[in-house]
Amino acid sequence: MLFGRSKKNPIKIADKKIKEWKYAACGYCSTGCSIEVGFNQEGKPVASRGVADADVNRGKLCLKGIFEHELFDSAGRGTVPLIRDQWHQDWQSTHWDTALDKVHDEIKRIQNQYGRDSFAVISTGQMLTEEFYTLGKLTRGLIGTNNYDGNTTLCMASAVSGYKRSFGSDGPPGCYEDFSHTDCLIAWGSNLPEQHPIIYWRMKEAQEKRNFPLIVIDPRVTMLAQNAHMHLAITPGTDIVLQNAMMYVILDEGLEDKAYIDANTNGLEALRAEVANYNPVTAQKICGIDEDTIRNVARLFARAPAAMQIWTMGINQSTHGSDGVVGINNLALLTGNIGKAGGTSLSITGQCNAMGTREWSSCSGLPNHRLLENPQDREDIAKFWNVDPEFFPKKRGMFQTDIYAAIETGEIKGIWLIATNPMSSLPNTARIRKAMEKLEFCAVQDCYQDSESAQYAHVYLPAGTWAEKDGVMTNTERRISRVKPIMPPPAEAKADLWIFNRMAERFNTEGKVNFPEKAGDIFLEMGVLSEGRLSDNSGMTHELIETCRGIQWPYTKQQLKAGEHPKKGGVRLYTETASFRYSDGKAKLIPLPFIDNNEVPDDKFPFWLNTGRLIEHWHGRTKTGKIGNNNKYSPIPFIEINPDAAKELGIQRGDYVRLVSRRADAVVMATPTQRVAKNMVFLPFHFHDCANRLTLGLLDPHSRQPAYKQNAIRIERIEDQAAAAKLSMEMRKF
Amino acid sequence: MIKVRDNEPDYALLRKEESKEVNQYGKLIETVPEHNRLRKQDFVINDEAQPEENPDRYKQHGFYFNADNCIGCHACEAACSEKNDNPAHLAFRSVGFVEGGTYPNYQRLNISMACNHCDDPVCLKGCPTRAYTKFAEYGAVLQDPDICFGCGYCTWVCPYNAPQLDPVKGEVSKCNMCVDRLEVGLKPACVSACLGNALDFGVIESVPENRTQVKTEIPGFPRTDITHPNIRFQQTRTTQRDMVRVDNTAVKYHKDDSTGKFQPELDPKHGYQRDWNWKKLLGSHENAHVAFTLSLQTVMGAFFMLTLGAWVELSPLTSFIQSSAYLPLLLVMLVLTSVGLFKLNMHLGKPHRFYRGFYNLKMSPVSREIAGVTAFFTGLMGYSFFALFDNGFATFIQTLFATLGLAGLALGGYFMYKLYRIPARPYWDHWQTGASFVATGLTLGGLLIALLAMSFGAMNTGLATLLAAVVGLGVIVEGAGLLAHARDLQPAESEGAASFYEQTTTYGKSYWLRNGLLVVALCLALSIAFLNFNSTFGFLLLSLLLLVTGIIGRTLFYVLVIPTTMPGAFFWKNKGFVDHAREVGLADMQQLGVAYERHHKFKLGALLKTIYGTSLKEKIAQAKRVLTG
Repeated sequence: MLFGRSKKNPIKIADKKIKEWKYAACGYCSTGCSIEVGFNQEGKPVASRGVADADVNRGKLCLKGIFEHELFDSAGRGTVPLIRDQWHQDWQSTHWDTALDKVHDEIKRIQNQYGRDSFAVISTGQMLTEEFYTLGKLTRGLIGTNNYDGNTTLCMASAVSGYKRSFGSDGPPGCYEDFSHTDCLIAWGSNLPEQHPIIYWRMKEAQEKRNFPLIVIDPRVTMLAQNAHMHLAITPGTDIVLQNAMMYVILDEGLEDKAYIDANTNGLEALRAEVANYNPVTAQKICGIDEDTIRNVARLFARAPAAMQIWTMGINQSTHGSDGVVGINNLALLTGNIGKAGGTSLSITGQCNAMGTREWSSCSGLPNHRLLENPQDREDIAKFWNVDPEFFPKKRGMFQTDIYAAIETGEIKGIWLIATNPMSSLPNTARIRKAMEKLEFCAVQDCYQDSESAQYAHVYLPAGTWAEKDGVMTNTERRISRVKPIMPPPAEAKADLWIFNRMAERFNTEGKVNFPEKAGDIFLEMGVLSEGRLSDNSGMTHELIETCRGIQWPYTKQQLKAGEHPKKGGVRLYTETASFRYSDGKAKLIPLPFIDNNEVPDDKFPFWLNTGRLIEHWHGRTKTGKIGNNNKYSPIPFIEINPDAAKELGIQRGDYVRLVSRRADAVVMATPTQRVAKNMVFLPFHFHDCANRLTLGLLDPHSRQPAYKQNAIRIERIEDQAAAAKLSMEMRKF
Repeated sequence: MIKVRDNEPDYALLRKEESKEVNQYGKLIETVPEHNRLRKQDFVINDEAQPEENPDRYKQHGFYFNADNCIGCHACEAACSEKNDNPAHLAFRSVGFVEGGTYPNYQRLNISMACNHCDDPVCLKGCPTRAYTKFAEYGAVLQDPDICFGCGYCTWVCPYNAPQLDPVKGEVSKCNMCVDRLEVGLKPACVSACLGNALDFGVIESVPENRTQVKTEIPGFPRTDITHPNIRFQQTRTTQRDMVRVDNTAVKYHKDDSTGKFQPELDPKHGYQRDWNWKKLLGSHENAHVAFTLSLQTVMGAFFMLTLGAWVELSPLTSFIQSSAYLPLLLVMLVLTSVGLFKLNMHLGKPHRFYRGFYNLKMSPVSREIAGVTAFFTGLMGYSFFALFDNGFATFIQTLFATLGLAGLALGGYFMYKLYRIPARPYWDHWQTGASFVATGLTLGGLLIALLAMSFGAMNTGLATLLAAVVGLGVIVEGAGLLAHARDLQPAESEGAASFYEQTTTYGKSYWLRNGLLVVALCLALSIAFLNFNSTFGFLLLSLLLLVTGIIGRTLFYVLVIPTTMPGAFFWKNKGFVDHAREVGLADMQQLGVAYERHHKFKLGALLKTIYGTSLKEKIAQAKRVLTG
């Protein structure tokens, strides 16, 4: 109306005419944000927003959460069960009964013919906890294969293993509130702004109030590294050396918390003896961080009244993943930084319900961190489920990564894949492809029909996704949040819980084992099993969880009875002296000798291949690859390559290049940037038939997690750019 | 209306604080004084009058961007697109970045940018349809896609890439400042969504909590003197001396130690190899403009020579007018003009809204150009029609039309040039643009007459000499312009240097071919004029040469312009990737966020509906506003 205009133009602003907001915790990462999905008059989900009074996200969402409502009708969703005799035939639509009978019959046939363990079940971190628990009951209690694992082996196994080795149990001891109390934060191989944007925001909020030092250890100059007070650009795969050198400084200079160590730990002397080999003078040659910086960081960390460490895949996805976690725990224990406000070692988890599967899926044992190796645990669960305790194996079976080797050797003949896509996610996909081809029977249960692993399936079971289902999920800070079925699954697709229960009916012919139909009832059953244990959630119900916008475990029946309302946040583990889960209540300080077994660059393959995540994508892109407002920021695979290296190779910005490893090759677009070292490229892992064609994925001896981030490649310039563009495009169905 | 939740977090609420009176550019922050009539008009959003609840409603508001904190997480963009229901290929807010340094001393600076609701909104002034309004409420610059006819001129003039031309819908839309949220005391959606604590919003010049600076510039942010944008920055961290764009634009920002500010500079991203690039050159979406300007200028040149030649009684021209070539020439001129106008109109996103081109006569050079060209075309038609009659009265009327045509030519021609003098487009913002337009008139206009004269046996030595001299003069004007343009652009501290670099590399061979042909053409024209060179063959060859140089030159003109604008990212908002995706077919995937350019139908039905659906009163009022604004 300024500039002499005589008429006000009408103002039109998009109005989605939302009639109702419905609650669900976010189904992407493990941050555990609370979302409300807005529905219009026609009952169509048209908007998403962060729940204002949820302690985790306080009204915020990342770009994936903001468009999560678009998931419900995204492309590629499975709508009817499919069946075929051979994987190379065309799919035929079928009825649920036929499909489920087929899966049941094939499991039985293979087990009868080759033995109980010749059929493997591979689960996920994507489902709801009640579904995990039900699948565990079905697999451990009725199907009876010991080769049952989840894709969490690819992301969280090292954290689980490290926690167990140090503290005697899994379970991250800290919480997001620790950011508000810490005096020093070290991030090991964790890029919060990109991978856990909401946790980053919580950290940033805390940091703006109290400008605590942030130290980032990462070979790449990530946004977090750039914003850090100190960035330690470490040589890939040498975290343990840096940890040992820091411990050397702490012990050498007497900076450790002696009283805490005495009261809470065992093993100091053995640790002292090992770290004596890691004088920073020698360690600097291995880890690439100079002596002064090592001393400086060690002192800063040890002297901080409360010091916190977080880590993600930079530590976990390594041949020393479990050791790296133990190293972090060692540093925390030496300085008394466990179980206190601002002092913790907090694993920043990956998948939305990786924690739920760790607690309840029975993949690595029995429900609620119980162990197959423990006769009492077997007895208790067998009794509770009404099965024969002898039916349980006495030792956990293979990890997901070992199951694939066992398919290769013919030990495993059949597989049931649930909400996971090993054709994209396992290292060295050429090897995985051969293994998949060899299977006598493969069932894929997934919300997406175009999940690449389905090409080798004999039966496809269309599942519901995220808030089409009912249950709970546990986040990084052990907070259980509610997911509600605010939409029905499309067409004939069904919630995973329904599928498990129908499958259970087929194995549970005598009706001995009880499989409740409602998620709320299952949750109560789990509550009973959790009583008196570390992750005790017996005080919670679905309703209470929703009202509180998530409750951190433990929250016990006793607390509930005593009228103690669940705390908004800030619940920690191991706050009492000697309250660790080993029998004497003490944590273990474990010596960590460094063995360099990584594939490292050499003359033939002179570049480090570092893989990682992009903020706009989720895992194999089956979700985000179809949502334009996420996908557009990186629609095709690319590498970050140092401009000096690119120049030597004659590669220009935007050229397609060929990456070659000892396994296979991949065609990607080159984006030169000084964000990476001259002998390193960064390649996002999200794209099918790309990063994992190249990766070797040596396994961690404890966690069996693959080393996705330390591989060697060479880079070739491509003369025929048009052909490369065509090839790259052909490999991109979405 | 937006509902504020009972538990709305503090970060989403507008600050309540004292504001300054005058902004850094010396302008009052209060948009209109207290008892101004503008305060009494309803503020209507989606047909709903808003209750005046925001006490700061009549103060200029703006975004605040803390570049120290932005992590490039795209939450602002996502929140914006979610709220405004935008498809993937369209965004009112975007994050781009610049980077500098050497590993590990590397720095990436993310810049999140939407509309800056400028003090001096060039979009509003440029828009021919009056689709833009700068509201007294919040000083928001809002645009109505239902008025817009999709010419995209606002996207040319804006230095910040704020208006978005949707190739699918054929209309522009842009950031609306979330005025609906402001009305209820909420910050815009993007600000509320920010995860880095980088974006903020409030009355302009107010400093958010914990922030210390209110700068008007940061590296990578386009110059502010064009529009006085309402955005303020914090950027305390020392940046590298060179901050480089990561999109394919050959630009970096170099620190000037004396001012501490960053100036755009050439960054020769793809070396110095020379190419033809015919496909890109001739396949440009701006080809309608090529056709329009070339044909109109040709006809204008010929018309100018005919009318003025007759008036000053230049004998070669007066005898030409008496010849049998005269009427066919007029016919060709009419056809050429029609084709040019048709191409231009059909290139609009909403061609059936053509009549709105006049709406902003008060401010827009585009409106004035259209008015001028319309007058010229009317003059040409009348002039041609009365050329059919041979009597005093007809000659008198014809002279009137000739005068109208010349007036239209002057007005339309001037604004055709003026509309390209866009500060945000340094490649165009040079007198060479005008020189080239005049040169086209002289060369192609002269040659048009020559060709018709030869076809109808009306060519004679006198005419040949005259026309060849005019053509030669045209080539000299063109050449002089080009020399000056090259001299000024090559060392420029602007995107112009990058344009020049592309001109001599990506299109280097085409560029030098054109230059070479111009020299040949000049020699040829001078030979015809002064050495009595065989004129038939000479004019044919000259026509071919100058048509080729004209087309190459004009396509270069459109394809080479590199706007002063926001840096993009590597895929998103990178013209290089957009072109690649369209070329290889990646753009077929909708979720890629790249839409193809397309042509839009002339919807006669929509036009008739407007004609019948608008009351006479409104029509009159609309016509009045063409002049009053």
